[in-house]
Amino acid sequence: MSNTLRPYLNAVRSTLTAALCLENFASQIVEKHNVPEVESGATKEVLLNPLVVSRNENERVLIESSINSVRVSIRIKQADDIERILAHKFTRFLMMRAENFVILRRVPIKGYDISFLITNFHTEQMYKHKLVDFIIEFMEEVDKEISEMKLSLNARARIVAETYLSQFV
Amino acid sequence: MILLEPNSYVLEETLYARFTSEKHELVDITLVDFDNVIYHVQSVDGQRSLLTLSVEMKYYNEVLAYGAEEILHCEYGDYLVPVTNSQYQITLQFNLEQLPQDKAALAKHVSMLKRNVLASPFLRAFEYWESQQEGAGPLMATHYRDDEAIYVQAQQDRVTVIFSTLFKEEVDRVLGKVFLQEFVDARRQASIQNAPQVFYSSREAPLEIRHLQGLKQDESVGYVSFVLFPRHFADPEVREKTISQIQLFRDYLHYHIKCAKAYMHSRMRTRVQDFLKVINRAKPDRTTVAAEKRTATGRYFRPQFRQSASTSPQTEGGEW
Amino acid sequence: MSKLPPVVIDNGTGYTKMGFAGNNDPQFVIPTAIGLPNQSRYGIASKRGIEDLDFHIGDEAMTNSKTYGVSYPIRHGQIDNWDHMERYWEQSIFKYMRCEPEDHYFLLTEPPLNAPENREQMAEIFFESFNVQGLYIAVQAVLALAASWTAKNSQQTLTGTVIDSGDGVTHVIPVAEGYVLGSSIKHIPIAGRDITAFVQQLMREHGETKIPPEDSLEIARRIKEQYSYTCHDMSKEFQNFDADPVKYFKSFDAVNSVNQQTYKVDVGYERFLAPEIFFNPELVSSDFLTPLPEVVDNCIQVSPIDTRRGLYNNIVLSGGSTMFKDFGKRLQRDIKRIVDGRVKKSEELSGGRLQAKPIDVSVVAHKKQRHAVWFGGSIMACTDQFYQFSHTKAEYEEHGPSICRHNRVFESLA
Repeated sequence: MSNTLRPYLNAVRSTLTAALCLENFASQIVEKHNVPEVESGATKEVLLNPLVVSRNENERVLIESSINSVRVSIRIKQADDIERILAHKFTRFLMMRAENFVILRRVPIKGYDISFLITNFHTEQMYKHKLVDFIIEFMEEVDKEISEMKLSLNARARIVAETYLSQFV
Repeated sequence: MILLEPNSYVLEETLYARFTSEKHELVDITLVDFDNVIYHVQSVDGQRSLLTLSVEMKYYNEVLAYGAEEILHCEYGDYLVPVTNSQYQITLQFNLEQLPQDKAALAKHVSMLKRNVLASPFLRAFEYWESQQEGAGPLMATHYRDDEAIYVQAQQDRVTVIFSTLFKEEVDRVLGKVFLQEFVDARRQASIQNAPQVFYSSREAPLEIRHLQGLKQDESVGYVSFVLFPRHFADPEVREKTISQIQLFRDYLHYHIKCAKAYMHSRMRTRVQDFLKVINRAKPDRTTVAAEKRTATGRYFRPQFRQSASTSPQTEGGEW
Repeated sequence: MSKLPPVVIDNGTGYTKMGFAGNNDPQFVIPTAIGLPNQSRYGIASKRGIEDLDFHIGDEAMTNSKTYGVSYPIRHGQIDNWDHMERYWEQSIFKYMRCEPEDHYFLLTEPPLNAPENREQMAEIFFESFNVQGLYIAVQAVLALAASWTAKNSQQTLTGTVIDSGDGVTHVIPVAEGYVLGSSIKHIPIAGRDITAFVQQLMREHGETKIPPEDSLEIARRIKEQYSYTCHDMSKEFQNFDADPVKYFKSFDAVNSVNQQTYKVDVGYERFLAPEIFFNPELVSSDFLTPLPEVVDNCIQVSPIDTRRGLYNNIVLSGGSTMFKDFGKRLQRDIKRIVDGRVKKSEELSGGRLQAKPIDVSVVAHKKQRHAVWFGGSIMACTDQFYQFSHTKAEYEEHGPSICRHNRVFESLA
């Protein structure tokens, strides 16, 4: 693991752990409603300052917190066209299945590739530290998966080209 | 399946079934081959023992100039009949009662029709090379798809084949680039040193065809040139194989781009499963929470919210 | 230039039917099976990168089953393994149909009560992997109804009851104006496979010792397909057979698959007993005892009341196991009997004060029954409406896979 990744992930982990201090909060605007305040943004006084943890210009995490919900958006490293397309395909594929992932948002925040929304209901029903684990593991694995896919794509292309050309020999 | 077959399997099967069926049923079947070729297998009105195969090939008029007709006469002379419907360019007719013994071989041979017709510019170029003339031969273009073409040109010591390729989609374009780059680099391998040389350029057309009018020049277009050397076409047997292979280049490339996408999908599916396992670890284990309680009917009793929080059935286990 | 015909693929549990629209029969009917290399062949060491192209589908998967493990990607009509299915399609298109998917529209089928998520996944594969121009996902039962429009006595509506009997299971599916009435669908655990087994058992009982055991199932299947018919009345038919054995008993010339000798098999009562198990299930089953006509009647009775006349009036057969001679007539008579009985009883109960309008029962049999679903797809895909109702690539790009959750119903054969 490269030496900047570890501190980056550690920073995200501690920030998230701190941010996941949520409590039930009924909407101040609509009676008998309970909305994630970070999404509605209608009650300014319960929103906290958003925070960006950044590894370099291409990789960063935006953590927006509020009294009853936290929104985590991740920008995945994309060095070239292929990585860009792979990242796009992969995140899209995941968001298609957002239902199963409970905390995954179907649409990412602008400027980021994928977003999660954790509300107080999630933290009440699930282990907080495991949720943080999931996000950290996700960040690690996504990079790995994309570079692996890129490698296997190249390997594939090589075999395909060689098989075709060896027909002429 | 890595390589594509040069013949049309569906045409072969359809014809073979017609050739071998004892009763001559009335048939009217439409089939398709790569690159907008349409086959129409039809029995003749009133004469059930006659079967016609009409072929619609948009670029037939182009290849006609390169001697496609001679090839047709040479390969399918016995079956060739004048075209009656202007929609079609080639018509073959078979008398089901007077077929040769080896019906399977005939079906296979006929299913190579598209390949044989498209072989004409290549054969022409190889002949030009054989004639040992000075200078470059004529540039033969075949617009085999709406926006794509094959250009074949013979030079004194080689034959150049240029494909203009078009990727309709961004993803395909990027993946296609990866594949084409490997085609260019593949010759570095010792084992295929003798393969044709491949060049690839996006946007810019190669010198041989740069003078042509109306070439599209934007991100989506690419040009792939194959340089065939005499060792690829001097020997008649190798020549046939070379023609079969090179024709299918575009289909081969697109087939593999699609396979690569399918492969990525399957990778992503496994990855999603892995991620689901991780997130499910965050859910408290239900066996510790009141899961053992049963109602009077023998069903498990469970607080309501767990059901809404539960995920896909795979991860649930089958106890309900 | 004429437009390229759409591709119609009907992936069933047992067999996949595929072909180009406009044709009368599918070009390929192959098992929905995929042969994947055995694990041992590709160890961890051999990282070639394209192992996933090393597989066979259909009959080739069966013939290569020694070196390739066969797996069935569809279970009970629903796609079970998407990875395998995607590769199955890949080879179906490029090897069997031999077409460039970018140039075609596609019509796929789904079983009734399919989850919308499955439709999304299908769309994802066809639009993203194969870049198809357009896609329409049709419900199999609705296509079977459409296929019946070619029959002489058909009313050309999309309301009716579909009896779909294939190899594994028989469904009775009521459809009202193109929409499946999901809650009323009934299943019968009797289908082609059971009939074949029953014929096999009957032959064993009447002492056909010449049949080698390894051929027995195949011969039973062929006898079933060639000689079986539906009779009017079982006990009368027994008398007919006994009165004039020469006319009714047939003999079947079979060839021993091992030593190629021919021999004769007598075909007797199984000729009419085979389809009879639909009407008298107690012949083969001890736990399922409801005859098919009764199941159909129940199915229609639990459907909404305003659809019932239409459902009785258009009972459509589909699938290979409904191909028996006079199957439709017998079914029609039996259902009619049940319905008339009920009408009569209600008239009696009202003391003759109410006169019910008689209910028409009609069972539609037609020539394309065997591949009815595919055929229905083939004619639907030829209409102008198909292009109008299909989801195009552009729409998919705009709205995402969820657009394929809904597929508009065809109104008529324009």
